[in-house]
Parts: sequence; C-alpha cells; structure tokens
Amino acid sequence: MAYSEKVIDHYNNPRNMGSFKKEEDGVGTGIVGAPECGDVMKLQIKVENDTIVDAKFKTFGCGSAIASSSLATEWLKGKTVDQAGQIKNTEIVQELNLPPVKIHCSVLAEDAIKAALNDYKKKADTEGETEAAATPA
Amino acid sequence: MSEHTHQPESGRTRDLPMARSMCWHCQSEMTGEYFCGRCVKVQPLSKELDYFTCLNLPRKLNLDEQALEETFYALSRSFHPDYYATKDEGEKAISLGNTALLNTAYRTLKDPVQRAEYLIRLEAGSAKDIRTSPPADLFDEILELQEDLDEFRSLSAGESDERRQELLEKLQADRRTLEARKAQMEDRLQEQFGRWDALPTEAEGDADVQTQKDAVLAGMQEILSNRTYVKNIVNDLVAATSPTAEPGRSAWH
Repeated sequence: MAYSEKVIDHYNNPRNMGSFKKEEDGVGTGIVGAPECGDVMKLQIKVENDTIVDAKFKTFGCGSAIASSSLATEWLKGKTVDQAGQIKNTEIVQELNLPPVKIHCSVLAEDAIKAALNDYKKKADTEGETEAAATPA
Repeated sequence: MSEHTHQPESGRTRDLPMARSMCWHCQSEMTGEYFCGRCVKVQPLSKELDYFTCLNLPRKLNLDEQALEETFYALSRSFHPDYYATKDEGEKAISLGNTALLNTAYRTLKDPVQRAEYLIRLEAGSAKDIRTSPPADLFDEILELQEDLDEFRSLSAGESDERRQELLEKLQADRRTLEARKAQMEDRLQEQFGRWDALPTEAEGDADVQTQKDAVLAGMQEILSNRTYVKNIVNDLVAATSPTAEPGRSAWH
C-alpha cells in the first residue's frame, strides 16, 4: 500500500516540528503512544486568550503518524480551545487518504490533541487556583 | 501405509469447528475431522478455527514446542498442494486455503510474543476493555533519547568529533541499559505465562476465575505494550550507533 501524496508531502516537509518549554505559560503538552506499533507522539499547543496561537509536534514513528500530527498542528492554529476539542480522527483519515491499516495513526493524533488540551486546562485551573489563593478574600 | 496417504492417524476425534457440518463431496455428516470419514476428501478449515485448536494444543502459553512442530509437519503434509495437483479445482482450493491458515497458525504460535498477543485477542471477549495506562515516564525517557539521537545523527564525522564521541558513548550505554530492561520485561512476561497456564481451564462462568484471567491478560498486555516502545527505541539506537552490527539472536523478536 503506497502512501498518498499528502502523507509524503507532510513527511518530507513536516509543518511545525519542534517543541515549547512544558512549563511555559499557556502551553499544553500531550504525549501519547500506540502500543501496537510503539510509535510515540508529542504534541504541544500554545494558548493566548482561549485561542491556539501556535502548535508544535515531535513524532517518532511511521510516515502516517508523522503526517497525522503535522496536519493536526496546522489545523490547531487559530482554533479556540473548544473548537480544537472537536477535531476528529476521521477528518485526518479523509484529508490524508489513510488506508485502513493506518487509521490508528490518526487516532493517535486525536488522542494527542485531547491530551494537550487537557494538560492546558489543568494547568490553567491550577494557575487560577494559586492566583485566587494568593489574593486575600 | 503409502507415503502419500493424506489420511492423518485415525482414532483422534477432536471437536473441530469445520466450515461445514457435512462433507462437501459425499454429503455425509462430519464428526469434526480434517478429512471425511467416508470418502476421505479433504475438508475446508473454518475461518473461525482458532490456532490452538487447529494445531491440537491446549490454550496455554508455555506450549509443548515438540508437539507444535510435529502436528504442524503432519498437517502440512496432509494438506500440501503438491498432493492435490491432480485433483479437481475444489480440492486444490481447499488444500491451498488450509495450508495458508495452517502456516499462519504455526508462525503465530511459535513466537512467544505473537503467541501472547494472539491469546489476548482470542480472549478479548472477556478482556475487551483492557486499557493499560500510558507509561508517562517511559515516554519522557524515549523523547529525551530521541533528542540525543537527532543531535548525534546531525553531527557528521570529521567535525565536532569530541561531542560526537561523547554522545556515541552515552547512546551505547543507554542501549545496553534498555536491552537489559527489555530482557527483564521478557522475564516478567514469562512469569505471566506461568500464571496463565496455572489457571483452571474448565471454569466457564466462574466469576472468580474470570477475574483472575482478566488480571493476567491485562498484566501481559501492559508488558507487551511497554516492550514494543522499548524495542523500537533500541532498534533506533542500534541503527544509529552501530550501522554494521548484526541484530542479536533471541527467541523474542
């Protein structure tokens, strides 16, 4: 089964490869893996005023996993946190023409998005709490 | 008995889920054998047939390798397409189909990791919701190692030799540590094999046994997943740090 042109393009010219500092304000980090194939994917978002202003990824795995995460970072930019949570793996499958045996790569990308969003929300909550705690009632 | 007989040793009746309950040729009732008892025609194996049953082995993980080989060779001979070259198209097709299924069954059960993965899939009806927690520490470690690997790959020989050498030594040490860890995981998997095999087999509907089964399956699933991550990073380390090295030989792939 050959890779589609879009997968090859993302593989050869990955968009937004790299990383942010985990501790940085507004950064959410998602690290997920696929136990079947051993691929590991790290996806990070940078949020300002509830909007994702930047996204980065690092994926160690097959071409489809790299393409799925590369595409995901492109789609994430400019979306609000809520909109980002609605990205579905099936949309990635469609866009990249992934064959059935590679669908789990798109699932991995969706999981990574969710993990990054959760991490961001968790961080935002605890920051809110510390701020609230620091302000005398 | 002639050398080319296709009839397996008689006196063995097993409960095989065959594709049909009647012989496709003479329509006589089948009692669960690979060959019709009346007209001796080969019967198609059912796609539902599980590999353990196909090879006449109990659903255990420490299996009798000699029995596996022997049954495989005996069945291979009886299904072999060469013996059906002069038969009609229907029999040729059955011979091919059975041989393909038998080969897959044998390959899967011969390898301990594939055997365990197959058993988990077989038993998944009961343990479908096995979701192992993602190994966060392991992921962090892998990502860090991959960064070092990226740096190492980007340094061409000749320039920055000192840093290159330093990284090479670190990566080789990491590789040894991870290989040792992979071996430990395989030991732990082996322990789970023993635990699985010790569970009673004839305990349909026993909730207590089912709970124990699920626990062993989940334990194996977790070890297998983590082992896959470690195996991948070890492969990357081997490829980057010793391009000419032969991969180690082991029963575990």
